[in-house]
Amino acid sequence: MTEAVEAPPADSFRARVGRNVARFRPQRVGLRTRILLIFTMGFLILSVFLATITYGFTRSTLVNQRDRAIVEQAYRDAGVALNDLRLSPPSAQPVIDNLSRLGIGYPLLNYRDVWTAGSARFGPEAIPGVLKDRVLIDGVPSRMIITVSGERLLVVGIPLPEVGAAYFEFASMSDVSSTLRSVGLSLMFAGFITTLFGVVLGAVASRRAVKPLGDAAQAAKAIAGGRLDTRLETTDDPDLKLLANSFNDMASALQQRVERDARFASDVSHELRSPLMTLAASVEVMQARRDEMPERAQAALDLLVGDVTRFQGLVEDLLEISRFDAGAIRLHREDLLVAEFVRQAIGVSSMPQTPLTVTERAERLVMHVDRRRLARVIANLIDNARLHGGGEPEAIVCEADNEGEPIGHVWISVQDHGTGVPLDERHLIFERFARGAVAGRRSSSDGAGLGLALVDEHVRLHGGNVWVEDRLDGEPGARFVIELPAEEVGI
Amino acid sequence: MGTRILTVEDDERIRTAVKLALEDEGWTVDEAGSGEEAIDLFHRASPDVVLIDIMLPGIDGFELCRHLRKTSDVPIVMVTARADTHDVVAGLEAGADDYLTKPFAPKELSARIRALLRRIRPMSPGHTKLVFGDLEIIPDEGKVTRAGVELHLTKTEFRLLVELGQSPGRVFSRESLLDKVWGYDYFGDGRLVDVHIRRLRTKVESDAANPRHVVTVRGLGYRLQS
Repeated sequence: MTEAVEAPPADSFRARVGRNVARFRPQRVGLRTRILLIFTMGFLILSVFLATITYGFTRSTLVNQRDRAIVEQAYRDAGVALNDLRLSPPSAQPVIDNLSRLGIGYPLLNYRDVWTAGSARFGPEAIPGVLKDRVLIDGVPSRMIITVSGERLLVVGIPLPEVGAAYFEFASMSDVSSTLRSVGLSLMFAGFITTLFGVVLGAVASRRAVKPLGDAAQAAKAIAGGRLDTRLETTDDPDLKLLANSFNDMASALQQRVERDARFASDVSHELRSPLMTLAASVEVMQARRDEMPERAQAALDLLVGDVTRFQGLVEDLLEISRFDAGAIRLHREDLLVAEFVRQAIGVSSMPQTPLTVTERAERLVMHVDRRRLARVIANLIDNARLHGGGEPEAIVCEADNEGEPIGHVWISVQDHGTGVPLDERHLIFERFARGAVAGRRSSSDGAGLGLALVDEHVRLHGGNVWVEDRLDGEPGARFVIELPAEEVGI
Repeated sequence: MGTRILTVEDDERIRTAVKLALEDEGWTVDEAGSGEEAIDLFHRASPDVVLIDIMLPGIDGFELCRHLRKTSDVPIVMVTARADTHDVVAGLEAGADDYLTKPFAPKELSARIRALLRRIRPMSPGHTKLVFGDLEIIPDEGKVTRAGVELHLTKTEFRLLVELGQSPGRVFSRESLLDKVWGYDYFGDGRLVDVHIRRLRTKVESDAANPRHVVTVRGLGYRLQS
């Protein structure tokens, strides 16, 4: 019923909101809150219902019992009065006195149309006319609940036609009222406790009901974060089983698909290696006879040699990156002096003459890295500077900038004299094959392709960071910085 | 007689191209397309260096390597698919002296072969006999004895032992051993040294698990002592 009353305004409100100002859309109540509310309301209604019934029942029982007792007492007293009146006394006063002696509180006699009361407070004026009429005129025994100065009383009237009299008796009902009041209080208290219990139960139930959803959300998050083997725990609960099973099926399908994609890239690269081997070896044989060739064949051979090398690099990069995707990389870490390592890495790069500056403190820094993988990072950065940064790269090794603190990181940077990287492209440049999107203006078509993406993957695998910024000396050009954990040692 | 090289590779096109490139270096090249063929050819041609692709039909590269090692100390170069798998260590444990990862440039291969051939040549004269407790090394004759019994080392193992023995007590880092024995620069694979040291120990030590002669110096490298 409540719904029927409330629903139309809510709908029209929503409709109005939809038309006019969408941002005032009311916040939807969450599942947990709803379950909690349902439990609370249920227990509240239940306790009110039980309390009302209990109260009504108790009340009627108590009142009836009391009523019957008073009426019985009144008949007994009327019998006493009748016996006395049979003697036809001139007045009813001795009868009343006799009754008072017996402990009857508030007797009242109408004897030969004269009222005689046991107490001044409960005289004939206290009796409602209706009752008087029924007893005196109709001659029917009657009773009625009246209130005299705030006190609830039961008046019982018994006609005594034998002696031409009527006996009335007042009896207090206030003890019943106070009993009922305390019963009511106890019931209210019990109702409150029950409702509170409902709240607690609702909270527990809602948490239990929502927990599988929370688990599912967490699992979904883990899967999105790359842990594809995450599964929901299987359960006996037939309702939850459905959720868990379909979630796990989805996760398996996703995992298979991702793995298939990763394997495809890896398989392709593997397949490319055999023809590439033949190409590389054959080209080398031809190159040894370059001088015997006509000029045009020489030019073609040079192109061939260049691109076979490039192809080889690309396939190696693809293989490496598919290894990253498959999570199959195992680092062979060892402690290396940073400066010595960078010197050696530059020595085997495509520009071994690249100048290297090392700060005094950085000479004593040691890092725990995979030597051959990190050498490729340096080589890739130098290649990048050579191809896209106008050549003449410079390398710098320095301690990370955290004043006062002990050195925790080393910065290995490679800077160039190119046009630099605009701010909004700096995060894109480490994407795979970002060349098309980002480096339209980065001059050479000689592909960076995967170079910087590999730098990023390698450095992150080592627990470090890589970013690009402007040269520190204000000249045009980009500065690529690798930040790696390092320790200072005494030499 | 010039240097003979046996290449074992099931892909005929690769085999032919590699053969052409190696012949340009002035070496004689024999080809085998399978492990069985290679074993047969090995006994007939007695090559100076064997080049084995691990992925072979029938007898695989590891098996072939172990088979050849039973009777011969010939230098073996393994060709593996990937540098970071167990293949490399497994190949070295099977008895290979060095490895290359596909696709490699033939120039790289000939450099590796030259380094292996150089190893066979006699050491610098001056030390006619090196003695470490019960170990005796005679570099000129390529002979090692333990308690008077002659040990069979491969050429690379022998070269490694002599390198360590020429400066008794000195600690050799992995890098310097890679440079001296294999001719690698700073970026050589340290596992080459580790696996060869392990193999050397099983031959020269009475208890390889608790070596007395070829000792590891933690964080620095290896040392030979009596």
